[in-house]
Amino acid sequence: MGILTGIGIFGLAIIGTPLFIVMGLAALVAFTFAEVEVSAVAVEIYRIAAAPTLITIPLFTFAGYVMAESGTPKRLLRLADACFGWMPGGVAIVSLVICAFFTAFTGASGVTIIALGGLLYPILKDEGYSEKFNLGLITTSGSLGLLFPPSLPIILYGMVAKVDIDQLFKAGIVPGILLIVILSFWAIKNAPKNSTRVKKDFSVSELWLSFKGALPEVLLPVGILTGIYGGYTTTTEAASITAFYVLIMECFYYKDVKLFKDIPKIILDSMSLVGGILLILCCALGITNYLVDEEIPMKILALMKEFLTNKYSFLLFLNIFLLIVGSLMDIFSAIIVVVPLIVPIATEFGVHPVHLAIIFLTNLEIGYITPPVGINLFISSFRFKRPVTELYKASFPFLLLLVLALIVITYVPELSLMWVK
Amino acid sequence: MKIILQKIDQGVEKIAEYGLYVCVVGMIIFSVLTIVFRWVNYNILWFEPLVRHLVFLAAFLGGVLATGRHTHIGIDILGKFFENKKMYDAQKWVERVISLACTLTLIWLIKASYNFMVIEFEYGKEEFLGIHSGFLVGIIPFGFLMIAIRFGFIFIDSFLKEEAK
Repeated sequence: MGILTGIGIFGLAIIGTPLFIVMGLAALVAFTFAEVEVSAVAVEIYRIAAAPTLITIPLFTFAGYVMAESGTPKRLLRLADACFGWMPGGVAIVSLVICAFFTAFTGASGVTIIALGGLLYPILKDEGYSEKFNLGLITTSGSLGLLFPPSLPIILYGMVAKVDIDQLFKAGIVPGILLIVILSFWAIKNAPKNSTRVKKDFSVSELWLSFKGALPEVLLPVGILTGIYGGYTTTTEAASITAFYVLIMECFYYKDVKLFKDIPKIILDSMSLVGGILLILCCALGITNYLVDEEIPMKILALMKEFLTNKYSFLLFLNIFLLIVGSLMDIFSAIIVVVPLIVPIATEFGVHPVHLAIIFLTNLEIGYITPPVGINLFISSFRFKRPVTELYKASFPFLLLLVLALIVITYVPELSLMWVK
Repeated sequence: MKIILQKIDQGVEKIAEYGLYVCVVGMIIFSVLTIVFRWVNYNILWFEPLVRHLVFLAAFLGGVLATGRHTHIGIDILGKFFENKKMYDAQKWVERVISLACTLTLIWLIKASYNFMVIEFEYGKEEFLGIHSGFLVGIIPFGFLMIAIRFGFIFIDSFLKEEAK
């Protein structure tokens, strides 16, 4: 009976039933089989209302959406163009940097591709890059800043794995830069010889003007990091200040966004995403706690120890497993479902919890562009009106490069832990 | 029949929209005020639990919108397969199974959370601003009910659309 029910729930998941329903149903069934009153599921759901860091998710997401709707992408593009536009492959590097900045705020929710794709694509095309390269670059860039603070997946991972979010913010910076650097070299290598775009020389005055224009936005990540690591604010307070600051700046300083016309729409768009994520988180608490109570991770560990003898073989297995997970599930579901099972096992194999977080998130970042259901592939397919199979091909070289970076991040833990006590 | 169901669905959407405006504006104002008051060594104790519960409520209301927009997060392997193969009939039936399964599961979740709310009203206490914990727990059955109505509408509407054709 139990096995049949399990197969039924798995079947519902595979056909695309919302994950919070799958989780909720699994929890209800598990508690019923264990002869526990099902109101315990609601007790578990309500526990999330006690999480102090919960507010960071809606506020950072809201701030990211406001910026996406405003003139921020254009201002940042101008600044990045002034910084890197003169270099060979400069325009592609500009695209990578801007997308990384944006994704850090919008939580790799697809907003980056939608908001920036239309801006960057014609610029890259003018520069003479091939269409395949442009599509691959933009599709990959849509999740590139995921390791940088204050990205939503980092916060969610910290909450689920009970790892200090401040430590995770610091740990992601160097691996995040590594990913950009590797892709930048690829962009330089693919830089077209015959560009139709008039090549600009480096101009101090243009750099200064563009910097001045985007200063309030450029200061934002610096302000967040200084606030948190200078001990002036907690992560939660940083989220509140960010949302408030972005709202004031975009509505009253830049006047790109109308308070009563645009903000209501932005609230609904951003909260629709946040609602989807938090509902999964709520419903997953019931089932994951049940799994932990039943010592399922320890049973998996005992099984794994028969095949995996050391930390390095475990890390190899973990990467393969997470790449498969990342190609089938979106990042938020994967964090909520897989993290509670993986963390105790990884701890037994001696993997540092912060290093594990970075490996996990890098894998899932790659999952965004991994066929068959990497979400960026579908968003780009929708945005650029191309068949998804074309996006598979375009993103493949980038996928290989990111896997290369993943190997470095996995086997050189110092990259993630250099700023972590 | 369809018009009545549509009106109910639109009503649920409107409640969720206005609720979300209040929640987000409340979250920003109260959380910023908490920081400002802390700078002047002043502390209002009910701000923090209020904000947490606004986020909790926003999660459900956001879920209501995601249901209407069909943007809930899921592992949609089979659906995408049917879409790619242009098997639209199979896709339609899969969507029906999903919306029915969602409605039934949500009814079960409403019952479980309603029981919890009843217990909380009996044994709980006032949390902040004189609000009893039973009302706060009541966010769960209320939120699930709103989402269940929308999934129920999607399920029934899929048949009504076919009849209309």
